[in-house]
Amino acid sequence: MNSIAGTFPRLLRYTLEHRRTLVTAIILLLLATAADVAGPLLIKHFIDDYLMPNQWSVNGIALILLGYIGAALAAAWLGYRQSLLWNHIAQQVVRTLRHQIFSRVVSLPLKRFDYTPTGSLISRITNDTESVKELFVGVLGVYIQNIVRVVGIFIAMALLNWRLMLVCLLFVPAVILVMYCYRRLSTPVFQRARELLSDINARMNEMIQGVTVIQLFRQEQRFARQYAATAQDHFETRRRTMQMDALLLRPMVDLLHLSTLAGLLYLFGLNALDSAGELIEVGVIYAFLSYLGRFTEPLIEMTQRLNLFQQAIVSASRVFAWIDEQPEQMPAQNPAASSHGDIEFDGVRFSYDGVKPVLKDIRFRIAAGQFIGIVGHTGSGKSTIASLLMRFYSPQQGRILLDGQDLAQLSQQALRARFAIVQQDSFVLAASVADNIDIGRGLSRADIEAASKAVGLHVHVQKLPQGYDTVLDEKGQSLSVGQRQLLSLARAMAGKPQVLVLDEATANVDSETEALVQQSLLKLKGSITLIVIAHRLSTITQADRILVMHQGEIMQQGSHRMLLAEEGLYRHLHELQTTQVVEVGG
Amino acid sequence: MWLFGQLRWYFRLQWRRYSIAMVLLSLVALLNLLPPWISGRVVDAVAAGTLSMDQLLRQLALILLVAAFVYVFRYLWRLSLYSASYQLGALLRRRFYEHLLRQPPAFFQRHKTGDLMARATSDVNAVEMFAGEAMLAMFDGVLTGVVVLCVLLFGIDWRLTLVALLPWPLMAYWFWRINTELHAGFVSAQEQFSVLNDRAQESITGIRMVKAYGLEQRAIASFDAAALAASDANMRVARSEAKYDPVIFLTVGSSFLLAIACGAWLIHRGELSVGQLTSFTLYLGFLIWPMFAYGWLLNLLERGVVAYRRLNEVMETAPDIADTGTWNIAPDATLHWDVREFRYPGHEQIVLANFTGRLQSGHSLGIVGATGSGKSTFVRLLLRQYEHPQAHFRFDDIPLRELKLESLRRHIVVVPQESFLFSTTIAANIALGNPDATPDAIAQAARLANVHDDILAFPDGYDTLVGEKGITLSGGQKQRLAIARALLMDAAILVLDDALSAVDVATEQQILQHLREARRARTTIIICHRLTAVEQADHIVVLSHGQPTEQGRHHALLAADGWYAQMYRYQQIEQAVEEGR
Repeated sequence: MNSIAGTFPRLLRYTLEHRRTLVTAIILLLLATAADVAGPLLIKHFIDDYLMPNQWSVNGIALILLGYIGAALAAAWLGYRQSLLWNHIAQQVVRTLRHQIFSRVVSLPLKRFDYTPTGSLISRITNDTESVKELFVGVLGVYIQNIVRVVGIFIAMALLNWRLMLVCLLFVPAVILVMYCYRRLSTPVFQRARELLSDINARMNEMIQGVTVIQLFRQEQRFARQYAATAQDHFETRRRTMQMDALLLRPMVDLLHLSTLAGLLYLFGLNALDSAGELIEVGVIYAFLSYLGRFTEPLIEMTQRLNLFQQAIVSASRVFAWIDEQPEQMPAQNPAASSHGDIEFDGVRFSYDGVKPVLKDIRFRIAAGQFIGIVGHTGSGKSTIASLLMRFYSPQQGRILLDGQDLAQLSQQALRARFAIVQQDSFVLAASVADNIDIGRGLSRADIEAASKAVGLHVHVQKLPQGYDTVLDEKGQSLSVGQRQLLSLARAMAGKPQVLVLDEATANVDSETEALVQQSLLKLKGSITLIVIAHRLSTITQADRILVMHQGEIMQQGSHRMLLAEEGLYRHLHELQTTQVVEVGG
Repeated sequence: MWLFGQLRWYFRLQWRRYSIAMVLLSLVALLNLLPPWISGRVVDAVAAGTLSMDQLLRQLALILLVAAFVYVFRYLWRLSLYSASYQLGALLRRRFYEHLLRQPPAFFQRHKTGDLMARATSDVNAVEMFAGEAMLAMFDGVLTGVVVLCVLLFGIDWRLTLVALLPWPLMAYWFWRINTELHAGFVSAQEQFSVLNDRAQESITGIRMVKAYGLEQRAIASFDAAALAASDANMRVARSEAKYDPVIFLTVGSSFLLAIACGAWLIHRGELSVGQLTSFTLYLGFLIWPMFAYGWLLNLLERGVVAYRRLNEVMETAPDIADTGTWNIAPDATLHWDVREFRYPGHEQIVLANFTGRLQSGHSLGIVGATGSGKSTFVRLLLRQYEHPQAHFRFDDIPLRELKLESLRRHIVVVPQESFLFSTTIAANIALGNPDATPDAIAQAARLANVHDDILAFPDGYDTLVGEKGITLSGGQKQRLAIARALLMDAAILVLDDALSAVDVATEQQILQHLREARRARTTIIICHRLTAVEQADHIVVLSHGQPTEQGRHHALLAADGWYAQMYRYQQIEQAVEEGR
């Protein structure tokens, strides 16, 4: 994991893209601070120049009054604007980060997703970037604003009386020392409290999942005892954190604040008693007392934000780890324009985990325009063939050739132009039917309708209220399961691919839909290379050739008729699917 | 105020801590009045030229003394008040947990895990906040406000106070408004955040589709749109939040201005001193907190009420199945059942009907049938997870409801379809029902369940962690661990509820052979889809749509050539296909 040293400057560099906003924010902040500290200064002048000497000059007082009101309004407005600007920068940075991590993640090779739990990956994209947002809004923004404010107050104090200012300045190292101690003492306890909390939640969650088992095994009391012990532990740890807060945070800062007040009054009184020196005016002490109240709050706020900082850095380094991953390497080379759709598997070996082989030396050829069916039991490796064809994964050994050219050499664009896939689960966008077929490829309406007709979807679309412009919802409720599968098929055909792969596309559909899909396939037969991976044999009885797979090997191949004639796996599969076990009684 | 009433029991329970906190808070509020007062006196003495070194030192010593006391008191009230509120959180969580532990499966079908978790976390937090922060805001807010007002009105000058306080109600109003706005903003920001989550989830889980169609750009665009909406919602929150400062600034500023103006006039007339004016402006600063406290209190109260209601909703559901029985089951009792009709609560469909039978101690029973034939329902009724007036189960002569639940559950051990493993060691998972089992006993159970060798192959053997922080087991390994867990209980009746579905036929046969040897005089009920598992049973029942259609021993059923026989042949071919034949 990246260290703070690397991660933090890298995060800061993101703000440089918003240089102008940053500069504006800083200028507004400086102005706001100036207006802010001007108030007590003006009152000081009023007290010392008019009130104490009993001088009531209307002009002078009016000027001070106007100045005061003006400064207050300016400080309020400028302060508001600049704080929004910091927020704006923070939001922009987080959007950039989110965009970067998300676009990097979707461009990673599929195998990167095999062993990463989806939940934790989503958490990187959302929760961790959210925590980085806290860093910008809650830590950086607050720090810059508060530091400028504190410095501004000290400058104003120095202008009034630098010796009194020095007394107040002592306050700062004292606070920093206290905060240092606080961090040293509290970090491990806070850590422990967080761990206990997640333990509590994990226990609760696990109990809900496994409650039946707990009851069946009569372990309610033991689980309740364990939970109570953890809850008590958590309570005590939190109490310790609270004790530390109470010892070292606000009460301590207030103690220091009052001590500084005493120091100020002491110097002030001493000065008045020692008539030899320059007299400190009453107005000055008034201004100091007002300032004193104003810089304790920012200091407290800054110390309380430090925890966020650490969390955010950890989160940011996790986000960067993903952003820094290598995207899938896409060859740029395009194949010769004249391609037909000949496919050859040449000694392909593949394994998902590098241990358990899924495909063992697969060899077959498909001539352009042929209809090939691939069948086999679960785990036979038949779907892996589709994944390799779509280049979701690359074979560890051997080659897959398209018109004699290695698939690995094809550019992503060329691959997608030539191959289309229909998967088991149809995928419907919350958009119109036409958009769902087009999916951003910019096809003409004629092409869309042609594809729709080719697969037999057209008649169904015409029954929809607005035809091709009917907006579907994401769960596709306006379409039946079968129609959704036809939609997927139309989508695939609309790209005019040379090779169409159906990966268990009929696994979840009723026999009526299957018949529809089958008809579509027959229509397409001959014009396009068809590779149909099916669990149901009925889908592929018309295929030119059927490959029967078992445990990563091709056990049998031939036409439906040929395969049925020989004793073996295909015939047993066929028997299984045609045997009706009658339901009695029902 | 409803919530105060609801939580009265707790305030009464913790009255000591709350009283201590209130006394200390009052002391702090009073002591805090001193430093500004002293400052004013010093200023006056300087202005009048009457200050003496002695007097100065005495005043300063007083300030330091006050500071020290305030520090100690502040520490102590936090300790009492927050201990009380944290304790409430811990207590509620525990009660919630224990309550859930007593609920039957039907309860967990009504309440989703996520929802229960939300109640156990954020709702408990909201109530806890009410018992801590809200009590503080209410008590200290009122107290500080009243005390400071009194000092201003009666200690300094009532005219000055009235004038200077003119802008303050505005501040309270604005605080309340911003707080409400902020709350709404947080809710919408939270919603946008979950939309963002959904978008990420959609694309990541559908990554194959995204890649197959080159939808990356589209997915990125839709994610970016969600990110934009989220950042807009966050900006709205920021805009509300940013209003606090100007509101404080303007009201406090104008109040100061009015105080100085009015004070100057009074000083001019000789009715007020500069020192008093200084103290006065210092006190004004104390009023910001009470103004804030009211808005905050309203908010915490609102959230606390909603949260407490949600907690009560769950806490007030009594378990559907009452543990009212008094009898124990005799070890060799015969089980009789007579289910005339059973449907799940709230459902029309009859899932089990006309099913009558008996099972003698030491015998084995097989129940087979298609999915949805009512096999698992039989087990649920037997365990009394559901009840129905038309479904009767009894051991010898004692009906289920007259048995102690404890005795029933001691008598029967079930290996469910979905075996659940806890995230702890493998040994602890096997010893779930018998935490004191020796390692030898655990290993013996694992051997019987054919999982011992698998376990030894794991990095830490029996001490290997499973679940989220440990290794992931295959479905078959999970099922065999669950069987080992059940065998360790050595109960009179063992029920395998489709518990062998994920192991292969050879392993299944080995486990069944072990069971027959180890549980010679015990009763076993095997519910399954694969008929090979019941071949050796003393009696087999075929259920179809909740009704028994065929009964008898394996060979008799084969000879009858009904569903059982057909299914048996079908599964023989299935087996051949699985083996690649």
